[in-house]
Amino acid sequence: MLSRRPEQEDRTGSPAVVLSGVTRVFGVTPALVRVDLRVERGESVLVRGPNGAGKSTLLRLIATAISPTYGTGSVLGFDLARERDEVRRRTELLGHRTRLYEDLTAAENLRFFCTLYGLDAEAVPAALQRVGLAEVAGERVRGFSQGMRQRLALARLAVREAELLLLDEPYGGLDAGAKTLVDDLVAEAAIRGATLILATHEAAPGAPATRTLLVEEGRASEVRP
Amino acid sequence: MPNTAERAMGKLTARRGERWLGVLAVGGVAATVAMGLWVTPPDAEEGNVFRIIYLHVPAAWLAYLSFLVVLIGSVAYLVTKRTRWDWLAAASAEVGVLFTGLTLVLGSIWAKPVWGTWWTWDPRLTTTAVLFLIYVGYLAVRKLPDSPARRARWAAVVGIVGFVDVPIVHLSVVWWRSQHQAPALLHVAPRMAPVMAAGLMTGVAAFTILYAYLVTLRLRVGRLEDRAVAEALSPRLGRSAEELMDEAASPQEVRAHG
Amino acid sequence: MTLLRQSWAIAGKDLRIEMRGRYAVGLVLPFAGTLLIAFGLSLGPGRALLQQTAPGLLWLAMLFASVLAFRRSYESEGEDGALEGLLLAPIDKAAVFLGKAAAVTAQLLALAVVVTLLVAGLFGLSLGSQPGAVAGAFVLGTVGLAAIGSLFGVLTESSRAREAVFPLLVLPLATPILVAGVRATSVATSGGTGAGSWLGLLAAFDAVFVAVGTLVFEFLLED
Repeated sequence: MLSRRPEQEDRTGSPAVVLSGVTRVFGVTPALVRVDLRVERGESVLVRGPNGAGKSTLLRLIATAISPTYGTGSVLGFDLARERDEVRRRTELLGHRTRLYEDLTAAENLRFFCTLYGLDAEAVPAALQRVGLAEVAGERVRGFSQGMRQRLALARLAVREAELLLLDEPYGGLDAGAKTLVDDLVAEAAIRGATLILATHEAAPGAPATRTLLVEEGRASEVRP
Repeated sequence: MPNTAERAMGKLTARRGERWLGVLAVGGVAATVAMGLWVTPPDAEEGNVFRIIYLHVPAAWLAYLSFLVVLIGSVAYLVTKRTRWDWLAAASAEVGVLFTGLTLVLGSIWAKPVWGTWWTWDPRLTTTAVLFLIYVGYLAVRKLPDSPARRARWAAVVGIVGFVDVPIVHLSVVWWRSQHQAPALLHVAPRMAPVMAAGLMTGVAAFTILYAYLVTLRLRVGRLEDRAVAEALSPRLGRSAEELMDEAASPQEVRAHG
Repeated sequence: MTLLRQSWAIAGKDLRIEMRGRYAVGLVLPFAGTLLIAFGLSLGPGRALLQQTAPGLLWLAMLFASVLAFRRSYESEGEDGALEGLLLAPIDKAAVFLGKAAAVTAQLLALAVVVTLLVAGLFGLSLGSQPGAVAGAFVLGTVGLAAIGSLFGVLTESSRAREAVFPLLVLPLATPILVAGVRATSVATSGGTGAGSWLGLLAAFDAVFVAVGTLVFEFLLED
């Protein structure tokens, strides 16, 4: 809490994700049931499953937005229960909510994000350019369409070099150009060795996957190709 | 140290221990009433109305003791994450709100014949009223989140903040009242005959036992509630209810994965 | 980044949103004004009573206005789930508590100036004798209100039920602020002595609540 330990060294030897008997319950409803998972660094995992199966819960749990009710886990070598901020420093979650401030401009939202992550604000204009929002950089988000908001969320990927990317339905509501943008950003991340976990309904996502997980009623299983 | 405390709590919640406590509690309260109504003399100034003190002061003592226990439970829960401490805090808060309400009602009943009004803004009573409201808020927060861990954490924060606030509230109310010369409800101790002091001590002891009894009852209900949830979850999680309760009660020490 | 710099960044973000949306001016100030008029209608029109109760009414208005200000502060975190963004950032979560408290303190201070002028006009409160003590009471009082509000304001971020609990928690906890603030203002404006000890009480309250809030805030935020 008050202890200010310096940022811990990367634990490069460890796998990207290890989950052991992870269960997450909301009230009396189990969203994830005894999930065991191991993802090595650099892997690209595709997560499939019907709506409400627990895909989002799984991704959010790995991102440390929520914690397990039972079970233990670690991400990039850092414990899910006790070293959450270290996990957060290295992970980027693209979830259902855009996490934007309606009254701030696109540039201001991204600049604030950079401040929170200790990134240089100089990277902001280039990132906005990359996602095609350079022209509306000075406009408030309140006036943005759904597609524009998602592009702004993608800009967060562009401005960071996260070691683990968790993408929850990143293609939803995007036009073809934006979908290609997602694929490009994901490919760039893969090239620099980042690990990717992508949950999507999209039939043939452009991002290549080395494995596929099926999540049904909170249980995860490997899908043999 | 936590293990001894838990074992002691375990003993208390055993059926036999409970019955013992219940008997003692009833006996104690009966003794208090007897002392209050018959053994002690009427007060020189206030006459028989004064006898309310034998219930009022113990109730007030319990009100504050129970919230001290809420504080202890809250801090212990946040530090150890063991659900037993959360149960303790919840049980103590419910019993505490009861005693606090009782204190206020008794204070009112006392005030009417003595001062002619139902409420005198006496500093201690006013602080108790604010305490009552803070802990009603605590109980309201316990009803909010759907996740037990979140509910416990939020309640613990309220329990800590609330308790820390009370001395400051008291100080502010005492100063507030000292600006006006209206007298306090409670007479100062030196005027008390030994037998009256004995009556008060009996009351305090009796109510403390009553508190312990009610808390153990409430703890048992809390355990049953958690068990019901564990049993509802058990088939869907493929583990026995006992396992789930054990794991929730004492979360595993986590090792960093390599 | 240190805690202070992180808090500063969050406070800055909140104030920028405030200036854009003008919520304090558009929502909180009219609300305070409405309260004062309502007080005046229910207690007046006799000048003497209003003058006597003016410090109390002033602080009541500030207390209720702060509840509204914090609802608003956390509402901008709730619109698109930005609060989760703060949770996921590798910052000290206490920075969210401190930053939001600082931003709302600034807003409440601005509000206090206007409310004081209104009360002086509507209820005949004279400000003359010890303006320093009155100002001190406002500064210390708003910091205290901000500490409580920033801490429990998290509860308002999602559902309706949680929103209703917020005033229930804040008002009793804020009792010392109300008592000390009113007394200090009353004493200072009527030319009495003793405002100092009330200010001391407010300062103690602030110190305790800022410290405790910093320590426990993360428990409210994490899930």
